[in-house]
Amino acid sequence: MSASGTIEGAAHREPHAPEATIGRKPDYLHAESTLRSWFFTTDHKRIALLYLASITGFFVIGALAAGVVRLALVVPNGAIMTNDTYNKAFTIHGVVMVWFFLIPSIPATFGNFLIPLMIGAKDLAFPKLNLTSWYVFMTGALFTLVSVVLGGVDTGWTFYAPLSTAFSNTWVLPALIGVTIVGFSSILTGLNFVVTIHTMRAPGMTWFKLPIFVWTHYATSLIFLLATPVITTALILLIAERAFHVGVFDPAYGGDPVLFQHLFWFYSHPAVYIMVLPGMGVISEIVPAFARKKLFGYRFVAYASIGLASVTFFVWGHHMFINGQSDLASLVFSALSFAVAVPSAVKVYNWTATIHKGSLRLDTPMLYAMGYIGLFVLGGLTGLYLATLAINQHIHATYFVVAHFHYIMVGGTVLAFLGGLHFWWPKFTGRMYSEPWGRVSAILIFLGFNVTFFPQFILGYLGMPRRYATYPPEFQLLNVLSSAGATILAAGYIFPMLYLVYSLWFGRKAPANPWDAKGLEWETSSPPPTLNFVSPPEVPRIPYDYPIQATESKDQHR
Amino acid sequence: MSEGLAKGVGVARAHHFESVAQQREATTLGIWAWLITELLLFSALFLVALILRIQHPEATVAAARHLKFWIGAANTVVLICSSLTMSMAIEFSRMGWQRAMVRAMLATAALGTLFLVLKGYEYYADWDEHMMPFLSSRPFALEETPAARLFVNLYYVATMLHAVHLFTGITLLLGMTWMAAKAGFLSRHQNWIEIYGLYWHFIDLVWILAFPILYVVNRGT
Repeated sequence: MSASGTIEGAAHREPHAPEATIGRKPDYLHAESTLRSWFFTTDHKRIALLYLASITGFFVIGALAAGVVRLALVVPNGAIMTNDTYNKAFTIHGVVMVWFFLIPSIPATFGNFLIPLMIGAKDLAFPKLNLTSWYVFMTGALFTLVSVVLGGVDTGWTFYAPLSTAFSNTWVLPALIGVTIVGFSSILTGLNFVVTIHTMRAPGMTWFKLPIFVWTHYATSLIFLLATPVITTALILLIAERAFHVGVFDPAYGGDPVLFQHLFWFYSHPAVYIMVLPGMGVISEIVPAFARKKLFGYRFVAYASIGLASVTFFVWGHHMFINGQSDLASLVFSALSFAVAVPSAVKVYNWTATIHKGSLRLDTPMLYAMGYIGLFVLGGLTGLYLATLAINQHIHATYFVVAHFHYIMVGGTVLAFLGGLHFWWPKFTGRMYSEPWGRVSAILIFLGFNVTFFPQFILGYLGMPRRYATYPPEFQLLNVLSSAGATILAAGYIFPMLYLVYSLWFGRKAPANPWDAKGLEWETSSPPPTLNFVSPPEVPRIPYDYPIQATESKDQHR
Repeated sequence: MSEGLAKGVGVARAHHFESVAQQREATTLGIWAWLITELLLFSALFLVALILRIQHPEATVAAARHLKFWIGAANTVVLICSSLTMSMAIEFSRMGWQRAMVRAMLATAALGTLFLVLKGYEYYADWDEHMMPFLSSRPFALEETPAARLFVNLYYVATMLHAVHLFTGITLLLGMTWMAAKAGFLSRHQNWIEIYGLYWHFIDLVWILAFPILYVVNRGT
């Protein structure tokens, strides 16, 4: 389809759309239209869309697997499918959702698209590396999909030895290789972001003028760089263990399976913040824009991002309280885990303080952001239960844990992802989506999510262990409730896929700044030109310069 | 960095950078960030090696006695020399001496290959002494001390991971040498040599860490 054809067609439907100007440079979507121009592009915006398409695919796979799990748990005796099938379903769900959706979700799509725009650069520092990272990602994904097609894996997403090395008879090796490879794509993305944020900022864009979105991505990228290589080593050892019986994790030779857990969680706990921090960045952009108010405590939110990324490297042992690590180690890890609550709470308080006395507009992105704040608080506070040594003994590896991290991962990251997707959709595509449908699905997702996962807190507290295909009959009511909630949640996910795709062709044309939001990404056209800005953007005096000032001292506002 | 460059030596600006200085800063930071992740990759392995050493001191020493100390030592010297020739290549590139630079790069690749040949001979000697416990067809020399196989296997994982890095490094170096021999290379891509040099020194550095951790500290009783 030619660029001019699209513009004319749209102008016919929408009389208020800006007229097509002869000689105006086409935007990045219409600059070229061959398949080659997409698959060999070095434009960060197009690569972001390649990632968006791929992770949406993985989200669907992961969600279907979750559906299978919830289906199996409708009956207590595991009559719907074999236990092996159940094990494979929850493993596919975990592996795909964690490694192929949550970790790349916000950084590789929104981060990729927005960081250069937000700092006033033409592209990321290393555009070819950026494209490489997508191919690396897809190569890793291919290995994992092959293992799924061949018959699946049953180790859970954590690949604990010795189950993964000696006992599992499923396709563990290709899955491990896939996860190892996908780690390199994270490293390349993180490296690109760190270098870009350090060296590519527009003149005048100092560190404390950066949007919080950029700060959280900087913190995330540091975790990518410093934690991912450790899991790469752990996985290489695991692969060598399974393929050649190296023995490092095998007690028969004096090896230590707990060593794998240490190496695994040294990455995988920080990885929680890889998944959470970018979402916090999204919320920090949405909340001021829809409260029409300057972000409260900008510097504290920025420091809290770096604080979270630092503390998170020292809490991995809280996943291992009951596996025989020393009491002293558990005590220290428990105390440090409590410390995580401080920067998390700083962020939540600052968002709520931003909303306080703001001029609220409850559009779709804001509905998601409000949902995020509530669910993140619940997920965060139940994290404190789990960090408490005595209570952890009782609820370790129960559905309480499952509910807790789904409140963080789905209630947090997925809601932030969807909120951000709606917030920046006009910028990505140049089209507006249907606002009523947006609100309906935001509310459906919030309700469906709570109906799905809140019963799991109760189930876990009553003692239902995670990862079991069967359970005592008295737990059936709550499990059926949870499965019913999953169907509402599914409906909430399907709507955006439909109306967002619909808007690509039939949506109203988006102006450059549909939300009247602040930030350099709104200064350029929607969608932006290939090199992002026609003329170098002017960096504002202060970040988040919204009409209502944050009342950092009480009198200032009155 | 751009001072100290001879006339006609420099970097062509890529379209998305505002200035050559910005581009140089970005590429330098980029390679250092990459090297930090690489260092952490090896650190995790070295950490596991040290944990094994603490948990099973006798078995580790018994296994480490079979390592070919003098081949390892010779390889250390070989790699240090290769770092010297790589540094010379960088210096020649700054001065604009293209022929000398290309020769220094070839010498670097040759020394790297010599390392791999020596390493290969060492693996052969290990095989000969039945020191390959991961081969199920070949009985392990130290079968009576099971923990010994842990150390030996870890030695293979670490040295092979290093060898993969070195092999990749030599391949990249030869490819770059082929391009660097062409006219006009130094006026457009001088910084490639500098960036690549950092990677080569890193491979050297990893071996300088691996040699004492695997060979030297485990010699004593």
